[in-house]
Amino acid sequence: MVSKKKKKYSSGEGAQFMTRKAALKKLQLSLKDFRRICILKGIYPREPRNRKRAQKGAGGIKTLYHTKDIKFLLHEPIIWKLRELKVYQQKIRRARAMREYRNMKKYLRDYPDINIDHIVKERYPTFVDALRDLDDCLTLCFLFSTFPSLKKVPRDQSMLCRRLTVEFMHAVIAAKALRKVFVSIKGYYYQVELEGQTITWIVPHHFSFQPQNKDEVDFKIMSTFVEFYTMMLGFVNFKLYHSLNLVYPPKLTAAFTADDKELIDEHAYVAERIAAMNLSLARVEGSNEGEELPEIDIFNTEDDPQKLEEAKLEAEKIKKLKTMFKGLKFFINREVPREPLVFIIRCFGGEVSWDKDHFVGATFDESDESIAYHIVDRPTMDKQYLSRYYVQPQWVFDSVNARTLLPINNYLMGAVLPPHLSPFVDKTKDQVYIPPEERALNDPNFKPLDDDQSGSEIEEASDEDKEDEEEADSEEDGDAESALAKQYQQEVEEDSDSDEDEEGVDPEKKKLAKEKKKAMAVTAGVPHKEHPYQKEIEDKQAFRLREKLVRKKHRNLYKSMKAGQEKRKKEIWLLRKKRRLHDEKAKEEKKAEKRQKRQQALEQASA
Amino acid sequence: MSVVKKKKRVSKKNKKAWGKYSDIRDVEEFLEDQRLEERLGKFDTKPDSELFVVDTGGDNEEVKVEDVKPLSRKLQKRAKLNEVPKCFEVLLPTSKVQDPNKKRNYVNPVGSKPSALSKLKEKRLAQKGVFEKKLAEAKKNRKLALDKKRKAKQVRQTFGMDLWGKDLPASKGIPETLVDEFISEEAQLHNVLPTQRLRPKPPLAKTVVTRAAVETPHPGVSYNPSYQEHQDLLQQVGKHEEKMMKKEAHLHRVTTGMFRRVTQAEKENQWREEMSSGLPQPHNPAEESESDTDNEYKAVNPPVKNKKKDHKTRRKQKERLLEKERLKREKIDKQKITDLYKLRKLQSSIKTREQKQAAERSKRAEKRATVEATALPTLSAHKTPVKEPDFVDPKQLSGDLRNIQANTNPLRERFESLQRRGALAASKIMMKKKRKLKSYYKAGHKVTEKDIQKYVTRNVGKK
Repeated sequence: MVSKKKKKYSSGEGAQFMTRKAALKKLQLSLKDFRRICILKGIYPREPRNRKRAQKGAGGIKTLYHTKDIKFLLHEPIIWKLRELKVYQQKIRRARAMREYRNMKKYLRDYPDINIDHIVKERYPTFVDALRDLDDCLTLCFLFSTFPSLKKVPRDQSMLCRRLTVEFMHAVIAAKALRKVFVSIKGYYYQVELEGQTITWIVPHHFSFQPQNKDEVDFKIMSTFVEFYTMMLGFVNFKLYHSLNLVYPPKLTAAFTADDKELIDEHAYVAERIAAMNLSLARVEGSNEGEELPEIDIFNTEDDPQKLEEAKLEAEKIKKLKTMFKGLKFFINREVPREPLVFIIRCFGGEVSWDKDHFVGATFDESDESIAYHIVDRPTMDKQYLSRYYVQPQWVFDSVNARTLLPINNYLMGAVLPPHLSPFVDKTKDQVYIPPEERALNDPNFKPLDDDQSGSEIEEASDEDKEDEEEADSEEDGDAESALAKQYQQEVEEDSDSDEDEEGVDPEKKKLAKEKKKAMAVTAGVPHKEHPYQKEIEDKQAFRLREKLVRKKHRNLYKSMKAGQEKRKKEIWLLRKKRRLHDEKAKEEKKAEKRQKRQQALEQASA
Repeated sequence: MSVVKKKKRVSKKNKKAWGKYSDIRDVEEFLEDQRLEERLGKFDTKPDSELFVVDTGGDNEEVKVEDVKPLSRKLQKRAKLNEVPKCFEVLLPTSKVQDPNKKRNYVNPVGSKPSALSKLKEKRLAQKGVFEKKLAEAKKNRKLALDKKRKAKQVRQTFGMDLWGKDLPASKGIPETLVDEFISEEAQLHNVLPTQRLRPKPPLAKTVVTRAAVETPHPGVSYNPSYQEHQDLLQQVGKHEEKMMKKEAHLHRVTTGMFRRVTQAEKENQWREEMSSGLPQPHNPAEESESDTDNEYKAVNPPVKNKKKDHKTRRKQKERLLEKERLKREKIDKQKITDLYKLRKLQSSIKTREQKQAAERSKRAEKRATVEATALPTLSAHKTPVKEPDFVDPKQLSGDLRNIQANTNPLRERFESLQRRGALAASKIMMKKKRKLKSYYKAGHKVTEKDIQKYVTRNVGKK
């Protein structure tokens, strides 16, 4: 018997994929609705391995979807809603065409909303999943919060984005979760750590809305993305607030309530927004404020004690960072962009205020004497208070990235700022040469070897002899204690000797007794001395042995890694040496110059 | 006692035989009863008074016969007025079964619809102020309903729900009896009812999952970058630009540059030549003189003659061939012997070649992997836009926050990032052209200068 002939593309890659047109037909949706539901449900087009086969032999490039994805969409109850909405759309369209604007308005008012919270749950089964995918969401929401009402974007969307973003920032402030800030040309990069997940987002600089080219971005699509993201961010906010024992929804300023229909101009809006961020939120009754993370328990599960140590150090640093600005009062001058600064300072426990005549929401006056830092972005100021430091805004950003309060002398008003470095550099690529200036920037504890020398160059040149004397002094100081101890020991020994002398009667007996004693005596234990050099050798040997145990599969990789490390180390060493030689040379030249000058001066004086 | 009859064995193989021999009287009786009940109503529900009559008269008592006078004809007629006419009795329902669709053919009773008169009356009353209170109440109610509706809409924006809180197995449709940590997940899911079973979402594409939504910025895009980092960024941008220029140059060379340029005059000449090919040429004496040297006809390709080779040449040819073959063979034999001595060298050369090939292979694989990691997905016929490095003009760097100028469009960047991750198919927005409406005058409605003149003169004439 001849079996039935198998049809081409009924199995394999040909059956796995579906063109968009076929999908539309299968789902009985219009393209617009299909796009919307795809974005909401997170179904994206696919790239096949073999396009010809996936397109069932058809040429060209078509947008393909997985058949399974489409079948998954088929089960979505929202599809029925979308089909029902068609009736409303037709009614609205008809009313508009017939110029029955009253009816149209009514239909628009009664246009049903689609509830998509179950989709959020479905796409992100756990809270951590949602947090992990928050980057895009936050960036888009912050972006849309700056938009006015546009043609293809629902009217309440930018409003909702404004509210949700401010709520999220409040949650970050309450959780003290901010870790890194970077001011770039594009905007502010923020990185927070929530529930062990790092979330990075961009907030554009505040310019007034720039009109978009019509053919660059499909606003309809982006607005659909934002529709889903606002839903997601809302639920994330709710969860965050509850975990932080805060009341949700928080009572913010009046501009954030949806039914407020007053027309507010852009600047007033921004001012309200910032003022809202300066409020402290209501806590749930009966909850204590100070919730501290427990200290890291030490388990010896990890093989590498060094790693554990690093983790501990990191945790300590973060703990310090969280209360970096605690109890400090900041005053922001008029010309400084307030939004990022308020957010950052409040994140680390500081108090912020601004000129109350210009913007709403100021908490204390400029004349307040307890203000510690006054943030200024102009070269000079007429009236200055002695009780505070006048610093430039970059000091705040750099301090956050350095995780300590940096010395302000580089950031004082009118000073030429040091470069603002990115905190997003890969820490694993540490095998590069870092010039000492940059190292000092990154690590405030780092002291270049010739730092104090260069600092006191002038003095040094004038009185070289004095330094020598000082050195001698310091040596004596150091030795004084040890000398005292020695003296004391000598005295004690002498005392004991004299005692023995007094007792001694029979020299022979004494000798015998001594011998006996010697036989009986417990020889004083010699403390096991760890020879550092010996230990080093042993360690090295052990390391080599371990190296031998590297599997054959990975041996070449290991070798190349080692070789690379050596090479980089050598390069760094070379560059450091060069720098050192250069510095020494420069110093010597300077010295010589100075000496010459002095001689000249002397000659002149003598002449 | 009923005598048990000996049953005859009959075959009830098919439906017909079954119906013939099986006793279905009881079933039919039951069904008959049920039909009766439907028609007459159930006995259980009927009150006793309807079913039974109390026997008040004794057995012995005589039945009193009232002498009822027959009604007069007039009265009879009157009594009949109340009865439903016999002709309409057919239309009345006889069955006790309730009408499943009671609303059918509902006709508004006379007087329920406002007539012209009643409308007038109502209007008059409203003017008098009788309905005012009612109207106000109606307005209030309408507003309440609207508010309620609006509030229901706003619930969507309050997010008052812990979405991830109730992550109980019962919410997934798993029966409560199976919610235990000792029962495997497979077994739990197996028992979910098919109506509650969710179709699992297929895993997302790799590009969507692995590529970062917000890429870490190059340190050179800082608003106040260090010199080295900024130079590094500039280097990168320069390299990118060079690459693009090279590509463009290549495209130019391969397309536009490939074709010869022809001036207008040359083009005309060519055209003339082509168009006049095959036409009789005008007499050209210079040409004629050249061709006049030999009058004999000569073909361009003279005919080939089949000249036979003789025996000697054939033999020589054969010998030559054989000699060649022999020499070749000899050479190969020699080579074999020398190769034996060369074995070691050969081996080493093979080894080095293999090593080289392996290294190349691994290099190729590495390259392929890196390309794959950053390759742009092709999801539609349009090309996905390549990520351009952020260029910061050194002139723009003022070093303070006040004078930052953005040169990128953040929304577009987001849009393209989505495309690069494969979440959106690359697209090109086609702008709709506004249709130009052509306006016409209806023939009869056209008003020309002439018409106006005519109208004016007529009016003047009238006056």
